Amino acid sequence: MSDELKSSTPQTPDAEPAVSRSTVPIWIIVLTLMLLFLGMVYFDHHGGWFNSQVYGPYASSEELELYQPKSGEAAILARGKARYDQVCGLCHGVDGLGKPGQAPPLAGSEWVDTRGIQRFVSIPLGGVSGQLSVKGQTWSLSMPAMGAAMSDADLADVLTYIHSSWGNKQGPVTADDVKAIRAKLGAHPQPFTDETLKALPQ
Amino acid sequence: MSANETSGSGELSSFGGASSLSRSAVIPARRLVNSLVPPDNISPAEIDHSCCVPMLALFGGAAFWLVVCSVLGLVASIKFHAPDFLANCVWLTYGRLQPAADDALLYGFCLPAGLGVALWLLARLSQTTLRGIVVPIAAANLWHLGVFVGLAAILIGDGTGFAWLEFPRGGSVPIFFAYLMLALWATMIFAGRRERAMYPSQWFLLAALFWFPWIYSTANLFLVAWPVRGVAQAVIGWWFAGNLLVVWTGLIGLGAAFYFLPKFTGRPLQSHYLALFGFWTFILFATWCGIPPGAPVPVWMPTLSAVAAAWLLVPLLAIFLVVWQTVRGSIMPNWNNTSFCFIGAGVDSFLLSGLMLMAMACPQISRVTDFTWFGPAETQLRLYGFFAMTMFGAIYHLLPRVVGLEFPFPKLARAHFWLSLAGVALLVVPLAIGGVVQGLKWQNPNAIAFADTTKAMLPFLRVSTTGLLLMLLGNLLLFVNIMGLTLRWKLALLKQFTAFVKSPLAETSAGASLRDEKEAQA
Amino acid sequence: MKNGFLVFLASLIALGGSWCGFVLAPVLQLGGGKQTTILNSSGLYPVDRPGMANQGLQVYRANGCAACHTEQVQQSGVACDVVLTGAGKNPEVVTNLISSLKLNGLDKDLADALVDKITAAGGKAEIRIVATGPDIDRGWGRRHSVAEDFLYDDPVQLGNLRIGPDLADVGMRQPDANWQLVHLYAPQSEVKGSAMPPFRYLFRVKKIGSAPSPDALAFPKDFGPPAGYEVVPAPQAQELAVYLLSLHADVPLHNAPFSQSAAVFKP
Repeated sequence: MSDELKSSTPQTPDAEPAVSRSTVPIWIIVLTLMLLFLGMVYFDHHGGWFNSQVYGPYASSEELELYQPKSGEAAILARGKARYDQVCGLCHGVDGLGKPGQAPPLAGSEWVDTRGIQRFVSIPLGGVSGQLSVKGQTWSLSMPAMGAAMSDADLADVLTYIHSSWGNKQGPVTADDVKAIRAKLGAHPQPFTDETLKALPQ
Repeated sequence: MSANETSGSGELSSFGGASSLSRSAVIPARRLVNSLVPPDNISPAEIDHSCCVPMLALFGGAAFWLVVCSVLGLVASIKFHAPDFLANCVWLTYGRLQPAADDALLYGFCLPAGLGVALWLLARLSQTTLRGIVVPIAAANLWHLGVFVGLAAILIGDGTGFAWLEFPRGGSVPIFFAYLMLALWATMIFAGRRERAMYPSQWFLLAALFWFPWIYSTANLFLVAWPVRGVAQAVIGWWFAGNLLVVWTGLIGLGAAFYFLPKFTGRPLQSHYLALFGFWTFILFATWCGIPPGAPVPVWMPTLSAVAAAWLLVPLLAIFLVVWQTVRGSIMPNWNNTSFCFIGAGVDSFLLSGLMLMAMACPQISRVTDFTWFGPAETQLRLYGFFAMTMFGAIYHLLPRVVGLEFPFPKLARAHFWLSLAGVALLVVPLAIGGVVQGLKWQNPNAIAFADTTKAMLPFLRVSTTGLLLMLLGNLLLFVNIMGLTLRWKLALLKQFTAFVKSPLAETSAGASLRDEKEAQA
Repeated sequence: MKNGFLVFLASLIALGGSWCGFVLAPVLQLGGGKQTTILNSSGLYPVDRPGMANQGLQVYRANGCAACHTEQVQQSGVACDVVLTGAGKNPEVVTNLISSLKLNGLDKDLADALVDKITAAGGKAEIRIVATGPDIDRGWGRRHSVAEDFLYDDPVQLGNLRIGPDLADVGMRQPDANWQLVHLYAPQSEVKGSAMPPFRYLFRVKKIGSAPSPDALAFPKDFGPPAGYEVVPAPQAQELAVYLLSLHADVPLHNAPFSQSAAVFKP
């Protein structure tokens, strides 16, 4: 056998190799655990959580929803929702179901889910105080005029959103509607009570 | 008979209460395994000799396909410098040549050579001879037939269109069954082994035997036979390519390296537990590294692949430690051992291509390297620099021992080593650097036109074509050596046969009585 | 490990895991073959290609075009552009305001704040979503490729190397069939210094008969056949051209949103 091909081991030329039994160095185990943790964190942030709609460069379905272009009605609803969540949702709930001891529900409420919008628009423009019955329950709270500071367009968006969410199926409220009702109520309207609200036309 | 059989019958009596059905199932299986257990004291030379013909069949064909791959790859590479080169021949258009070259390397050389080395390693580590060699020989011939049909199909335009899976049914079915036959034979050798404790290489090789049938059948069923709809095809294609090119080649190559490196250096493999840790983490993590970042699929898939590629650092480190601790201090004394040099270079290429794989999966880097020549550079480094060179080292060691004859031109092995090393370096390094340059230029779409980036690649491609030429020369040397060895072996067989035919009458009983008479007279 | 069964078990767990993750799950999630609706419209996407284009896909596959061309656009990010849609009662105030602001390439919060500012000044503004990235800037597409783009492809030819440009949207970039055919016959005539080989075997050069045939290619100067001859595409070349012209992926979808451009108000 030529030199180039002969193995240069001192033991018997064709013995099978042996294997030692020393232990695995601990640092490689530690490194493995660290990498496993960091990898899982990375997947949590960038993996879209197995959602079939999330493609790179989006990292989550929330981010994808954020960048959906809006047009027409969808835009109004999106704006209205954003404003509602900011201003009204704190008390009435982001889901419109109200919070006991704080604010009555808006979903299916007889003050909201009506074709006529006089009372519906007046409430945020004037506020409410005293006892009010909503869906068979009596609420005794006071609501400030949350809509008084908003522009006509913004309030219209919010009210349109409320009118078409959580099972409410009513039409949109336009900025002109809000403007007209605001003009009727005057600059600093008194908070409404049960009687004064019922005195308004539907 | 051997101790196993007596203990078997002793256990059998304790089964008295078991149902007759389980007993009748147990007896034949145990008898089959025991019949595979050979009598004591089989010498390594006997084991080697039993593998002779299947090895020649597998490696001879593999060396041929390697030369074919190099020629096809070289012609394809020349077309970059002269797009008109052979452009009128529909069979030699670049889009058919390059996949044919890739598949010739993978299915023509890598798989049969890997299976041959695995078969021999398992026979040696099980300390048992290879029996019933007609099956491995038939499998080898069936394999080469399948490769021939597959390559011809690609060149006539019948390729499936999936990367690394272009063989249509006429090629993939023979290959699949040939693999099953060889894997079954290797598993039976392993099942009948005398040494029950497993050496680390055996884990790697057994896992590889199991890996290929599953991924190959899945890929062919879901992509070619009953294709799935839409981009799921691409995902399955990437899964298959990753598992074949990274995991399967890694398992066979590392199994061979973990056997040969301790054997050549005379030191034990360091260590059993580190190799086990490397094995587990390698098969768990590398199998998920396939989906490229930015792929048109939901983002969880590329993210999983990216995370798995980052975790690949652990098995790479473990394997580096095993190899380094085993060969440290023994490199220079073994410098003259060509097989040692091949396998050492192979393991280095494995680690380097592993790092390149990790880099390509990292989003910041992939933004630059995606779709550039960096990807093919990593693949060529892995398939050729790591796997092929490890197989060369194994072949140069085992084939003379198996056949019982020296290579006709032993010094050409050294030349092959230098040509391969230089060839791989000249192929991979310019493509890798060029890929990065290409990617960086692409980041400026308003400043640099796309056609200019193609032109900027030409100098790099020139160097890589030279690398391919060197690799072709080296592969020709291997082919010449193996063919020469086969011829020598056949001539030796012929001599044996004619010697038997011409044997003098003195050997026969009639001649013996004649001789006795003559002595009595004298 | 002590016995082969444990090795088998380990391999089964490892390969089974990745099989579930990258074979089973994608087939379940993406293999259903459902169309999706175009954003802000009721149109369905994608629409199946005409038969000739599907045959062209087979020509594309048989000639290995995917070895040099990809069909997937990548997008590195998304940004908002704020666009004025009405000046309201005080156009000067609004124009003064926007002249000092950066209106392009913003992230969503900043864009929302700008819209509020403009609305407060009396104007009307909208946010346009645009995709960003080198591929987008190069005009190779308006958004990244998604699974729906490849719904009717068999086999899906994504490609993984860009020796030539990306073809996902080439039907929009080069909608002229003659350009595609001339480029296939003599790539250097349309793209200087192109590395693409000429696919002359997909065409026939024949003598001009009594009248030039309607399919004959119109070449740029200096690249045509000799006088008296014309180049006519064979059926395979025509199918390939129809396929290339059918490649466009420029509609906004829910998973790849962008704003279709609309009239921009100029005060």
